[in-house]
Amino acid sequence: MTDALTPVPPAKRWWLPPGPAVQRAFFGGWTITVFAFLYIPILLLVVYSFNDSKLNLYWAGFTTKWYTLLFGNEVLLRAFRNSLIVAGASTVLAVFIGTTAAWLLYRYRFPAQQTLGLLIFIPMVMPEVLMGVSLLVLFVTLGIPLGYTTLIIAHTTFCFPFVLVGVQARLQGLDPALEEAAQDLGATPFKAFWMVIVPYLMPAIVAGALMSFTLSFDEYIVTIFTSGAESQTLPLKVYGMVRVGLNPQLNALSTLFIAATAVLVIASQFFTRKKTT
Amino acid sequence: MAVTAATAALASGPSPQRRAGLGPWFALAPMLGWLLLFVIVPTLMLIVVSFSERDSLGRVIYSFNIENYLRAFDWKWLKILGISVWYAFLTTVICLILGYPVAYFIGRSSERVRGLLIMLVMIPFWTSFLIRTYAWISILSQEGLLNALLMTLNITSAPIGFMYTPFAVVLGLVYNFLPFMILPIYTSVEKLDGSLIEAAYDLGARPARVFGQIVLPLTKPGIAAGILLVFVPAIAMFAITTLMGGGANPTIGEVIQNQFTKARNQPFGAALGVLLLAIFLFSLWLSTKFRRGEED
Amino acid sequence: MKKQHTKLMAAACAGALLLAGCGKKDDTLKLFCWSEYVPQAVIDKFTEETGIKVSVENYASNEEMLAKLLAGGGAYDLIQPSEYTIQAMTKEGLLQELDQEKIPNLKNIAPEFRNLPYDPGNKYSIPWMAGFVGIVYNAETVTTPIVGFTDVFKPEHAGRIVILDDSREIVSWALATAGIPVNDVSDQNLATITPMLKDWLSKVKVYDSDSPKTAMSNGDTDLGVVWSGEGALLFAENPKFQWVMPAEGVHMFVDNLAIPKTAQNKDKAEAFMNFILRPDISKMISDEFPYYNPNAEARKLLSAEQLNNPASYPPGFDVTKAELFTDIGEQASKVDELITTIKVQ
Repeated sequence: MTDALTPVPPAKRWWLPPGPAVQRAFFGGWTITVFAFLYIPILLLVVYSFNDSKLNLYWAGFTTKWYTLLFGNEVLLRAFRNSLIVAGASTVLAVFIGTTAAWLLYRYRFPAQQTLGLLIFIPMVMPEVLMGVSLLVLFVTLGIPLGYTTLIIAHTTFCFPFVLVGVQARLQGLDPALEEAAQDLGATPFKAFWMVIVPYLMPAIVAGALMSFTLSFDEYIVTIFTSGAESQTLPLKVYGMVRVGLNPQLNALSTLFIAATAVLVIASQFFTRKKTT
Repeated sequence: MAVTAATAALASGPSPQRRAGLGPWFALAPMLGWLLLFVIVPTLMLIVVSFSERDSLGRVIYSFNIENYLRAFDWKWLKILGISVWYAFLTTVICLILGYPVAYFIGRSSERVRGLLIMLVMIPFWTSFLIRTYAWISILSQEGLLNALLMTLNITSAPIGFMYTPFAVVLGLVYNFLPFMILPIYTSVEKLDGSLIEAAYDLGARPARVFGQIVLPLTKPGIAAGILLVFVPAIAMFAITTLMGGGANPTIGEVIQNQFTKARNQPFGAALGVLLLAIFLFSLWLSTKFRRGEED
Repeated sequence: MKKQHTKLMAAACAGALLLAGCGKKDDTLKLFCWSEYVPQAVIDKFTEETGIKVSVENYASNEEMLAKLLAGGGAYDLIQPSEYTIQAMTKEGLLQELDQEKIPNLKNIAPEFRNLPYDPGNKYSIPWMAGFVGIVYNAETVTTPIVGFTDVFKPEHAGRIVILDDSREIVSWALATAGIPVNDVSDQNLATITPMLKDWLSKVKVYDSDSPKTAMSNGDTDLGVVWSGEGALLFAENPKFQWVMPAEGVHMFVDNLAIPKTAQNKDKAEAFMNFILRPDISKMISDEFPYYNPNAEARKLLSAEQLNNPASYPPGFDVTKAELFTDIGEQASKVDELITTIKVQ
């Protein structure tokens, strides 16, 4: 697949700048600006994690005490771990349900297809407090004890529509010949799906997974109604902290998390590069 | 309206649909089961509660009366709903303008860089929403960084009140929803065939034309998805709007939240929620019907 | 790489579900409290001394706690309601009566907190911390004298005020200024104070019940009607933030510990109550959260700096003169609607 860096023959009209290069510069500059916008508060957050003041308002001196305090803060660390577990599990489930559902709805004609398509949107627009309370009542009625299970169910419910919508969009541009070719070569519908469609859908699946994880990781309202004592997640601890000032240990935690993820991502890029050479 | 166009774009497109055999039904069962149990049942419960009353403690007394709905059709709730929709609309438009070029750039980058960049888009949002928002508050407040910068550069002589304004609200909303616009568009851009674009340039087309006539139409599904994933949740948003806006202009999400807490009026909150859902679903249904009609 | 990820996640998922299915230890004390109100050190010390394990769940508002409790979520042994919630709950029989013989340290509580209107004789609850709603202002930018609500809502302060985003509170200030008892929220009284409220709210820039100190610290507002805890934090940060108890009338709130009807470990809950009523433990709470400590013995252990914080312990203020909220039941909805209407106009 060619990319925009491949040299293009000089423009037929000399007074026009070479298209792709200028375009690339423009889009590149725009992207950098938007990234700056996205990362400015993060930078601030990181800086304040070294700030010698409990209220994150002005610089009072450099310190690493928040990091040392964080490592002794079992409650916070446990909550963080719970958030990771719940977000991870919810993402896996949401991706599974969302992708297969999007594919099936696209491929096959089900009765009441339109209604199904509409119902999927409900979790996206239903206010979180409504979803939280109604799910709580449901769980209590069914006798399911509040804990990881109920929490993951609740999170998956509002995450999977995001995956579904993203995958549906990607499916719009699917070349039907692709699947036909696989089946011509003797593959069952399931195998064709797995070997041909899923790789094609991968960017949408990854995008959906990223969105799901983000939504679940920071969810407060639904969590408060559907979690139990052992599944207390990070937002539950954080939201109550506002009254006494957000503890800079949170900044330290966020900084470490961002750093860890960034390192992981960059490292994995190097790893895949080595594999292809 | 943005949403109707978006759903139309998503619903359209050629799809070689076959009648569902037993296998596909089986495969769809998990999602159907999930929808039924964890989406439809709670929604039904909500509808039941919306027709109920409550006691002085706020507990629901199941009955049947439409008082809550009658109460909802009052100018003040409709005004609040209107404000919420307006904020959501602004947010969607700005996210689209800001996000499309980013999605395009990342989607057209080399494979290695692509993965890295798309992750980098997401990473800021794995910090707690509260910390991020308070960071913005400390940037935008009167004694905050932005004002300090402007005054040091002598652009302004007195601090400007950026915080607790509609500007701050929209900024907060855009900040939180931008990735949800970038990601779906990126997946559409990613599958663009570079040779198609190159060919257009070879034929002497100018960049604007290539963009408008080739790239944009081909990425329509991604744009549609992005619009849906931003506009829809943005309407029911409340935490950001309260923090950045100062609470002077309540949103419908805030009002509903309030009914379940301070106002101790769950049935009324449920009624408002049901109305919100109904409006949205109805406009969605209209749009697909309209589209179908067009195709005939 | 994606496949490996999926396997890992599936394993974690399965593990978590297994743990969730495991039988719950029924002898754990289940505490349902505000996220930042019970110091972890206190909980740890309790477990250390008594061997009773404590599991903690958090909420960020009374109403969230009530909503979850009423919807049947979790059999909690201890909850931390405010005074009006206690009253509402006892009316409906949702709290268990305390066995005061198991809580001898109750004697440490100052007499003015032993017979409060919402729970005379401490039948259902023990006081945790008290606080007030008062006025904080930036003495560097506000030069006119401020003694009460009327001074705050003067025209020259328009657009520079932050107040609590609590309809009940806002209405009570207007009622106090109009000379009406704060719990008398009849439709007629609400109508009487509506013009005053309209005037006041038109001058408010920020509504914030969670962290009003932010708007004050950041210089976006110069005056605020906020919780005393917020005032105390601001004063400790910079003495330019002065605290004033409103002349028209002060509202005191009292947070408490109580045992819900559905509790399964009443004796352990009472043991915890007795524990935190010890002066040394109560001091630990005061050290972290600068509210008004109702424990007279604990107050004797506080430092001069703590006792001199005017927002924590208002000088010359007679606590028995403060008004406490009673439960207003269904009128809560009317109050909320009134404030929302005024905000939207």
